[in-house]
Amino acid sequence: MIDAGTSALAIAAAVRDGKVSCRDVVAAALERIARRDAGINAFTSVLSERAQADAAAIDRRVAAGQNPGPLAGVPVAVKNLFDVAGLVTLAGSKINAGDPPAARDASAVARLRAAGAVLVGALNMDEYAYGFTTENTHYGPTRNPRDPSRVAGGSSGGPAAAVAAGLVPLTLGTDTNGSIRVPAALCGVFGLKPTFGRVSRAGVVPLAWSFDHVGPFARDVADLAAAFDAIAGPDALDPACSTRPAATCSAELGGSLEGLRIAIAGGHFGRLATDAALAAVARVATALGARREVTLPEPHRARAAAQVITAAEGSAYHHERLRARAADFDPMTRDRLLAAALLPAGAYLRAQRYRAWFRGRVAEVFRDVDVLLAPTTPWEAPAIGAPWTTRIGDAEVVTRGHLGVFTQPLSFIGLPVLSVPIVTPGALPHGVQLVAAPWNEAALFRVAARLEADGVVGAPVAM
Amino acid sequence: MDIPLTETDVERLAAEVGLPIAPASRAAVVVHLNALLAAARLVDEFALPDQTEPAPRFEP
Repeated sequence: MIDAGTSALAIAAAVRDGKVSCRDVVAAALERIARRDAGINAFTSVLSERAQADAAAIDRRVAAGQNPGPLAGVPVAVKNLFDVAGLVTLAGSKINAGDPPAARDASAVARLRAAGAVLVGALNMDEYAYGFTTENTHYGPTRNPRDPSRVAGGSSGGPAAAVAAGLVPLTLGTDTNGSIRVPAALCGVFGLKPTFGRVSRAGVVPLAWSFDHVGPFARDVADLAAAFDAIAGPDALDPACSTRPAATCSAELGGSLEGLRIAIAGGHFGRLATDAALAAVARVATALGARREVTLPEPHRARAAAQVITAAEGSAYHHERLRARAADFDPMTRDRLLAAALLPAGAYLRAQRYRAWFRGRVAEVFRDVDVLLAPTTPWEAPAIGAPWTTRIGDAEVVTRGHLGVFTQPLSFIGLPVLSVPIVTPGALPHGVQLVAAPWNEAALFRVAARLEADGVVGAPVAM
Repeated sequence: MDIPLTETDVERLAAEVGLPIAPASRAAVVVHLNALLAAARLVDEFALPDQTEPAPRFEP
């Protein structure tokens, strides 16, 4: 029985074994999207005909005795920042809606399809990925499936919401400052921001070249690992993509945590957050027997430097559009990018020097720690249209910007981070970041799998 | 620069980089630019060793 809660790997096994046809699996996903997405607004395009044709091709391969791959017949969808052959890459904007359709799939999309997945649509996001809430002026807000009056998070709000609602079991998003981890936490699903350079960004519209990452969302750890394994690895089409071979993380699940040194990130990561957000970290730490606290050096300055670099790079990329078509931007995106265009060059370069320093100091921390624990967001999902500022403790902070307070210092230096969900009946979800040294996604998957097996974290379908 | 920029400052800076800013956007741009400059100051207040090079590397 395949339903909204069936995992990607269970679907793939059933399709490969001929127990269910891929056409039926895809038809059921399209029916769920048709029935539920009007109330969520995760999808900006649904590729019904293409998906049904791809599904029929998978069924023919199974009938011919072939193995379509580890994700055989799994319905997937991607943030509309990714090129999809034949589809205009909106990047959440009205401006790009006038572009010609993409000639080919983005590399990560092509790899998912090569693994047997069937693309069923493209997903909503903040304009040009510059936001944390997916309150998109042009395409409407994506609603949080666990409380439709609340934001789904962003900028990959559509990908997180589609998985949380059980519309599809796997999606792809991007994360520059927290855009996978924040919506994963707010919607109560698993999200992975891999090491910078681990997954190709070829065919993905940039926000900030220094920090843009591609990664998957899923409702269980094995699915997340399977998606990551499918998309990770070298790609000559992305100059920032590492030539380092990717480890197979699916093989790590169920592995022992013995000898793994796990600590809690203190200082900055324990301030300006609700008790519930910090309690989520404490719950994970207790389950793992982690008592030691470590402090990263000057993470508040890392966050500030990340803001400067993101703004400067984003503004440089969109300069001509800002000059010629400012009125067609989402006002929130436009006014921040215009401001960034006026930053002195020295500010950008000093932030990049700080980045090199911070990377070195954090590498020292990881000499005697394998996995760090930190909250993903400082609070649960805000209401759609929430006030500009929020009071927390003695501070008045920018409601939407503060959602990235704990994610930005980590993506700033490209560390791999897996956000695990804590979903409690009757309450909004929280996320906890599992953070490792560069290239050590394997440790994150081992820890996440243990937490899931012990019932500490999990992502039930939001009905 | 510790004195917050004004709409007049933003108008002048925008003209220098050839980027027209609609009057309706100026107040918001001022708020965002002052926030970015505050973030930049937070970075600048931390003394880095002279030998620290910017993070991006170019390999010919």
